[in-house]
Amino acid sequence: MKTNRKAFLAGSALGLLVLGATSATALAADELMGDFTGVTLQAKLIGGNQYEPLYARITEWEQATGGKVDIISKKSHFEIDKEIKSDIAAGSTGWCVGYNHTSFAPQYTGLYVDLAEYLSKDTIDAFVPAMIGASTVDGDLVMLPRAQFDVSALYYKKSLYQDDARKEAFKAEYGYDLAPPATWAEFKDQAIFFADPPNFYGTQYAGKEEAIVGRFYELLVSEGGAMFDADWKPTFNSEAGQRALQLFVDLYAAKAVPSGVLSYVWDDLGSGFASGSVALNLDWPGWAGYFNDPKESRVAGDVGVIVQPQGSSGKRTGWSGAHGFSITEGCANKEAAASLVWFLTSHDSQLIEAKNGPLPTRKDVWTDLIAFVHDSGDDYRSEVLTAFQEAAQHAFPVPQFPEWVESTNLIYPELQAAILGDKSTSQALDDAAERVADMMADYGY
Amino acid sequence: MMVSHASRKILLKWGRWVGTFVAMSLICIPGLWIVLSSFRPNVEILSKPAVWIPENINLDHYRAIFSSDPGQGAVPVWNYFQNSMIIASTSTLIAIIIGMAGGYAFARYRFRGKNTLFLGFMLSRTVPGIALSLPLFIVYAKLGIIDTEFGMILIYVALNLPFTIWLIDGFFRQVPEELGQAAQIDGCTPWQAFWHVEFPLAKSGVASAAIFAFLTSWNEFALASQLTRSTGSKTLPVGLLDFTSEFTINWGGMCALAVIMIVPALLLTFVVQKHLVAGLTFGGVKG
Amino acid sequence: MKRKILSPPVLLLLPAMIIIVAVILLPLLLSLYTSFTPFKLTRPDTFYRFIGLRNYERLFTDVYFWAAFGRTFVVLTIALNVEMMLGLGLALLVNRAIAGQRTLRTIMMFPMMFSPILVGFQFKFLFNDNIGLVNNALQSLGIAQAIPWLVDEYLALFAILTAEIWSSTSIFAILILAGLMAIPRDPIEAAKVDGCTVWQTFRHITLPYLMPFMFIAMTIRSLDIARAYDIVQIMTAGGPARRTELLWTLISRTGYVDANMGLANAMAYISIFLSIFFTWYFFRKLMAARRYMGGAQ
Repeated sequence: MKTNRKAFLAGSALGLLVLGATSATALAADELMGDFTGVTLQAKLIGGNQYEPLYARITEWEQATGGKVDIISKKSHFEIDKEIKSDIAAGSTGWCVGYNHTSFAPQYTGLYVDLAEYLSKDTIDAFVPAMIGASTVDGDLVMLPRAQFDVSALYYKKSLYQDDARKEAFKAEYGYDLAPPATWAEFKDQAIFFADPPNFYGTQYAGKEEAIVGRFYELLVSEGGAMFDADWKPTFNSEAGQRALQLFVDLYAAKAVPSGVLSYVWDDLGSGFASGSVALNLDWPGWAGYFNDPKESRVAGDVGVIVQPQGSSGKRTGWSGAHGFSITEGCANKEAAASLVWFLTSHDSQLIEAKNGPLPTRKDVWTDLIAFVHDSGDDYRSEVLTAFQEAAQHAFPVPQFPEWVESTNLIYPELQAAILGDKSTSQALDDAAERVADMMADYGY
Repeated sequence: MMVSHASRKILLKWGRWVGTFVAMSLICIPGLWIVLSSFRPNVEILSKPAVWIPENINLDHYRAIFSSDPGQGAVPVWNYFQNSMIIASTSTLIAIIIGMAGGYAFARYRFRGKNTLFLGFMLSRTVPGIALSLPLFIVYAKLGIIDTEFGMILIYVALNLPFTIWLIDGFFRQVPEELGQAAQIDGCTPWQAFWHVEFPLAKSGVASAAIFAFLTSWNEFALASQLTRSTGSKTLPVGLLDFTSEFTINWGGMCALAVIMIVPALLLTFVVQKHLVAGLTFGGVKG
Repeated sequence: MKRKILSPPVLLLLPAMIIIVAVILLPLLLSLYTSFTPFKLTRPDTFYRFIGLRNYERLFTDVYFWAAFGRTFVVLTIALNVEMMLGLGLALLVNRAIAGQRTLRTIMMFPMMFSPILVGFQFKFLFNDNIGLVNNALQSLGIAQAIPWLVDEYLALFAILTAEIWSSTSIFAILILAGLMAIPRDPIEAAKVDGCTVWQTFRHITLPYLMPFMFIAMTIRSLDIARAYDIVQIMTAGGPARRTELLWTLISRTGYVDANMGLANAMAYISIFLSIFFTWYFFRKLMAARRYMGGAQ
């Protein structure tokens, strides 16, 4: 990953010069720099190595505008959410620019301004429309997404699909050719076929907290269901819901997944696939570099990536989220803050970030990134990008209401109970729906 | 008869030796796994089948931490280290001074409501962190001491006090009261009697209280993650999370930072525990 | 005369009292108040809505809460007892060692250097059923099963207890060792002269001396064990299907993730009773042990 990064960075400097020259006039309206001498903006950002390269650019903004940025907090995803909630509770929301995430945004009612008032229409139009949709809560554009867009595609161990003996055995058993799965039904067949517990597993899934509910949610959608109806009544205990949950149950019962999956979250999943003991892995773009780095991963050189499978409704899974920046209502200098937010999500910033692996949220950055990766001659990266570009077209955010995260905490223990066989799928989903309905009633839905 | 007694003694000696070895191994292995992991590439650490004999030992994770490019895994380790050091040692010192006064009062004086007060101190420690963390956040935010070393020192002193008082009280109880009284009869002031006669005898208690207080502050995560936010006050345990992002983890790197965190604490313990030996002379003095 | 007896201890205790009241008691009163409100972090106005005992009423009928309560009680009891027995054994071994005392003592304290959050990640990866060290070792020894450490109800609690015991036995060991070193030599010598066996000496002379130290350690740990929150949260987060749900994971999720701080504080206040019970129990034991020794009361 490190060596890859160096190469990208070196290349990016050159690429930027060229791009800067060609697109300067075209983007004139999509620009928000100004003179902010004497202004100091307090910012709360997500911390972590993957997110740092962008922050190095903040000095450029400071030099260009004369403003200063004081990063008063840098924490991990869940820790900073905790802090922002604590800030709301304590009324200490005088800082300006904050980390935000499409899954968290609806919770922070009344904290952030509608960015549409501070940005030009050209800027907003330059983003992928679905991203703007996911960042909009109750008609307000509460955050502007950076190039940290997450949707899952399917990673798989290539060599398994090139082995003739396996191909024959598979065809004999299932009656169709062995190829990376296009549907979740095929995915299930193959996961069970490849599994050889305890030495090798067909696949794995996140098994706790919001993570498993997210996975259930996207399968539910791909099966033609929905979490809630228009009046926010839970509908996930529908037949589609049962079919979605049944996939988790079947994979678990067939021992196609490690029996520990119910304690897994993203770090376990990534480490598991990198260990070479898992065939198929629906996972995030952040792992792409890691999986193909011989210093990190045993499957380096043997990783294939394709678009995520589709469910029985013909829709693909595509639970997604994006990181972004927001401006608080309490910010003293919102123009300066908007300029910073624009700068951090601008074409050049996104391209720099995306060249390290993450996915962009601006249309033109996608185009430039694809050209860049294509020119780099890195076949693996091209494959990754192609897969995720397609994956992104099927992306959808979580249901946008403030209690989403809270509802996941009511749902996941029931999902786990069904997977373990403590409850039937219908019983588990009914119980979960009842608890969620109770909670929603408490909040006056 | 004599022979069997002697052989039993040898057997007992060997048994003890083996027992010690096994116990020490059990203690060390999970910890040494972390240390070893910090020198290995991630591909070897969480691998299947397991790589039992390290093929590749290097300093890459350390190099990344100390490099200057955050994108490559650099972590402001020096800031974290300084913050941790200042917060842990200052809070320990204060807790020991205040705790010694309190512990001595409990061990030596009779007063009304003593047991209630004592129990009250202890109970202040039963408070679950969650009941404390939000009100503290609100109060700290209003006072403007959030994200400051002072704020962290304050809360760690409060957390360590009950524990320190209790421990020191227990040790002072072991020091016969007559010793101090005798010294005062010989013309010492109460302070001199305490400092020259009683304190040296309770030193081992103070030393262990100090180790505990230091380690608690050095390793505490929950409150530190709530009350610190920037490199100006973040401590090492909070820094561990720099190796995670929303979906990924760099386990080897986290281990390396953990080692950086463990080594000074271990050295300090090694040095300070010498003073525990002072307790050994105790029996002799009394005789 | 009377004032003279009273004032020195009050003076000595004053700084401690001020700090505890300011940093612990006052914030606690604030959270006690919120436990009577529907306080939701993201809706600050709910702070001012008083709903009396609603949160408590709701909890008294919440099966999952009481299951977590009972489980926490069991886990606490097991952890404390095992830690004390192991700590006692360890202290006796180290105390008897002739060579390398200093090194042994340092090794004994090794796990105390590990932050609970690190211990969580450490044991989560050690007990990972697919790529973890424990199962890899077992499979190398020919056990053809991947043991689901963090999923099976008992194994998961076992794994959590292992992590907790590994990280905290040292505290018992070092306290008991300090106690061992403070034992006067004479009674032991006298017992030897009188022909007592090693066991008799231990049972009737060493152990009574150690009792106060053991109860101090017990009490301190029973107060402190909520630190295990970080460990449990990272290893299982209370799952699967609430099988390892303990009060701390439940409270913390309710308070911060769900943002229902009022309800979480009500839970915290009920759980304080659990802590008070343990503390009071060991405190009484400590007093009894001290009386037995004839120490100053």
